[in-house]
Amino acid sequence: MMKNYDTDDTFLGRWLAGELSEEELIQFKKTDAYKQFKLINDESQLLSGPDINVEAALQNVKKRTQSKAAKPKTFRLWFSVGMAAILVLSLGYYMNSSKTINNGIGSTQTIVLEDGSKINLNANSSITYKRFFWKNNKSVTLNGEAYFTISKGDGFKVETSKGTVNVLGTQFNIKDRTTFELKCFEGKVEFLQKNKSSSPKVLTKGMHIKIKKDRIEDYMFQDNVPNWTRGFSTFDEEPIQLVLEELTQYFDITFDTGNINTDRLFSGRFKHDNLDLALKSTLIPMGIEYELKGNNIILSE
Amino acid sequence: MLEKEPSVCEEKTYNELFRKYYQPATKYIYYKCGNLEQAEDIVQNVFIKIWKLCDTIIYSKAKSYIYSACNNSFLNEVAHKKVVLKHQKAAKDNTNYESPDYLIEVDEFRIQLKQAISDLNVKEREVFLLSRIENKTYKEIAEITGLTIKAIERRMSKALKELREKLGAHIKL
Repeated sequence: MMKNYDTDDTFLGRWLAGELSEEELIQFKKTDAYKQFKLINDESQLLSGPDINVEAALQNVKKRTQSKAAKPKTFRLWFSVGMAAILVLSLGYYMNSSKTINNGIGSTQTIVLEDGSKINLNANSSITYKRFFWKNNKSVTLNGEAYFTISKGDGFKVETSKGTVNVLGTQFNIKDRTTFELKCFEGKVEFLQKNKSSSPKVLTKGMHIKIKKDRIEDYMFQDNVPNWTRGFSTFDEEPIQLVLEELTQYFDITFDTGNINTDRLFSGRFKHDNLDLALKSTLIPMGIEYELKGNNIILSE
Repeated sequence: MLEKEPSVCEEKTYNELFRKYYQPATKYIYYKCGNLEQAEDIVQNVFIKIWKLCDTIIYSKAKSYIYSACNNSFLNEVAHKKVVLKHQKAAKDNTNYESPDYLIEVDEFRIQLKQAISDLNVKEREVFLLSRIENKTYKEIAEITGLTIKAIERRMSKALKELREKLGAHIKL
């Protein structure tokens, strides 16, 4: 008996592939079912699958291969190790980090430290101190000028470019600019000059030292507080160049000194709140003429 | 002497493989799951894997790797949906019947046919569509699916019989 689509479970499959024998095909075409199978087959071949955008898919795959790290496991491990290291280092750095307070030209501010000590920071000056554990190391670094009112306690010191000021509960002013000056207003301070083996210099109330060419000169004074904290600067036979420097601490100006002699001495004062008056009260008595060009002041005799 | 095969890690080679196999592989998976988005997802993930493992994949084996990896990922995903087919190819205009009634019947029949194909068992459906729509030979289908040609012939026969059972009543000749 000849096989047909009902008895042979590969028959139709072979028919679709065109692999029936001639005889099988002739027999098959005679059946009623043949026409139905043929229609189903013909119609099926008219169907089509989904539309697929290959290039868009390729772009998508490229994007995803780039965003994912090639070796995620090792990457993640090293990433974690790196992050941990950075965290530890930055925490350590932060704990050991310093805080710096800066004053711009013409502005002053008062800083109260955690032991109650007060620092009046003058214009164009900065102080730096440890952010944490400051009490274990009561040291501040001063750049410029400040007036210190220090609570009683041990070991407060101020580092300056010219040396260290050790404090034993007191009030004092340090000016560390072109000249270095230390004034003690209350109590007692000790000054240890940098790079000098000489014994520390002790200052009590009313004592004033200046460093000129590495040598300490002694002076006396009467004031209760530094003049700058009251808004003016005073000079007692100081070279003009120091007066000009002082002016630039409070006013955003520069000087073009030309050929004037800046070593001439000046005695007097200027207030910090009015540039015009300050210039008049310092320059005119010295017979110096001045001309304002923006922030630049040109001096001539 | 073995001829050196191109490296799949080469972008040019990779792109070539992608352009060659992405569409057929996606259709293959689509004929199984009936969800184009899912199919594209599966195949794209396979291609991402190929890019990552490019130095372990032999160029001449890439085709079978792609199909079997797609099939494996498909088996790991459960949701099977119905296949939605379209009538895109213009119907062969070899018909002599032009009465509107006949046309309506043809339309009706085509809808029924699509539904019936969609209702086929996955095993039969994938083979049937690869053969009838994608015009793949049984040999090619065997390569893709890993089945024997005999098994494919059986599945094709079974598919056709099932379609006739469902559609026989609609066929007026």
